Amino acid sequence: MNPRHEILLIEDERNICNFIVTTLKTQDYKVDFAVNAVSGLSLAASGCPDLILLDLGLPDMDGIEVIRNIREWSNVPIIVISARTQEKEKVEALDAGADDYITKPFGTSELMARIRTALRRSALSGSTPLSAQNKYTAKDLVIDYEKHIVTVNGEIVHFTQIEYKILTYLSRNAGKVITYDSLITHVWGPFADSNNRILRVNMANIRRKLENNPADPQYILTEIGIGYRMIDNENL
Amino acid sequence: MVMEMSSTLKNTIITCSGLAAATAFAFLFSFFVPENSGNIALIYILALVIIIRFTDGYLPGLISSVIAVVCVNFLFTYPYFELNFTLSGYPITFLEMFGVTLITSTMTTNMKQQARMIAEKDKLLSETEKEKMRANLLRAVSHDLRTPLTSIIGASSSYLENSALLAEEEKNTIVTHIQEDANWLLNMVENLLSVTRINNQSSKVKKTDESVEEIVSAAILRLKKRFREITVNVSVPDELLIIPMDAILIEQVLINLLENAIVHSKTTKPIQCYVENHSDYVSFHVKDFGIGISEERLQNIFDGNSYIGNQESDSNKGMGIGLSICKTIITAHNGTINARNHGQGAEFYFTLPKDEVNYESKT
Repeated sequence: MNPRHEILLIEDERNICNFIVTTLKTQDYKVDFAVNAVSGLSLAASGCPDLILLDLGLPDMDGIEVIRNIREWSNVPIIVISARTQEKEKVEALDAGADDYITKPFGTSELMARIRTALRRSALSGSTPLSAQNKYTAKDLVIDYEKHIVTVNGEIVHFTQIEYKILTYLSRNAGKVITYDSLITHVWGPFADSNNRILRVNMANIRRKLENNPADPQYILTEIGIGYRMIDNENL
Repeated sequence: MVMEMSSTLKNTIITCSGLAAATAFAFLFSFFVPENSGNIALIYILALVIIIRFTDGYLPGLISSVIAVVCVNFLFTYPYFELNFTLSGYPITFLEMFGVTLITSTMTTNMKQQARMIAEKDKLLSETEKEKMRANLLRAVSHDLRTPLTSIIGASSSYLENSALLAEEEKNTIVTHIQEDANWLLNMVENLLSVTRINNQSSKVKKTDESVEEIVSAAILRLKKRFREITVNVSVPDELLIIPMDAILIEQVLINLLENAIVHSKTTKPIQCYVENHSDYVSFHVKDFGIGISEERLQNIFDGNSYIGNQESDSNKGMGIGLSICKTIITAHNGTINARNHGQGAEFYFTLPKDEVNYESKT
């Protein structure tokens, strides 16, 4: 870790707070924490953290509000911490501008991977925009954006235009969850039917071309009720 | 009170409009076919039967039968627009209509009462059934939660109190056990939470169209986070299956079945998980190659209390609740769930009905 990254944790449960702070410190991050939304927001404004970990269930303010508030003045990556069954809340958080979410309870390695991905993405978008990268590589998969060529194990795989569009959008955002709605909007335009059946069908086709076993995918993972996440080559 | 008022009002309206309609019809009839009072009486009798059918109690029927008799006499029999009860045979007509009304209204009232009683009985029965299920679940939960909690509390306090005496390796074992139990508790809590997604009144779930392979892969992925070293051989049909379901719940069922296969099969042989496509339903199978299930357990394995009277209850903690929750979830989806021994181990399988539309993987 060259310059030590600063992470702000906004979480009201003391025990969870303690454990995350301890873990982050052992990984050589600088950590600040707040136990409610108001002090969290003021710390975010004054401390200029490199990343914010935000629990959605804060006592004094709705988590979605906190995200909107921060997004008014900053692009700092926000990772939302939330419970498993609240898919709707997660989608709302992602649509409000959160970069990623992690489901309670999570292991240390999972948390660290998410943090690394988010930090790297924000570092990249600062210098070279992601859209300027010309290749995506993960395991045996290579997507060459300039030549519009996708290869698996060195063999060229053909995709329809829609499938390729989905694939590039997911791979350019590798490591990050893309909600159904944002994927549909990006591929079919803002006025597309939000029924995601057509998306499912396309995804099934992509998987059949890309994966050895569509029921045990290696590249595009499903986040049930939320969207898709393409694997990030550095977090394998 | 209000109910009574409105029911009286309803009866009055039905009675009046029924009689008015009959009278209007009878007028029309007598206009085209004069001198046919027999048919006119029949028209009134029909109206009476209809009125009795749609009103409550005997009163509307009796009142309307008197009115009908008077109407026939007054309006449709000579001398017109005059009451004359001395016509030959008229008392017979009168008695006939009165008799028909009385018998019909007694019969329908009885029928209605019986139907209501049956409905009430059914409701009561399903209520007690639900109550029984809830009590069973609660009992099973308290029993199952206490075991890992005891172990967590015990292990952590022994760690804290004897920390100086314990070797590094022992400490590791203790913490590993704490983690295992905590994970188990978490799964239990998620199971219980998932039940709250099922509507209490209607026992129905909110379904959306989901792709079967995505649900299966998500379940496997989540399972592999907890059991890193396991192998599951997964396969789904080649065509894309889209089935209406609550995805989180079905994922939970799959995870429960897979976890049971891992924990209770007492073997490390790979587990098989596959999906089969049938004409109007899809079946999901989880097969292990372990010790199988004893016959007496198979009988009530989904009842939630299969641990009762079981000597080794701690060694298979939680199996009961997990499976009874699976059953609840699948039933709420109008599917079926079953368990059997396939010769080399146990197999659990459940079905989900397809909706009328099913898209194939063609774009």
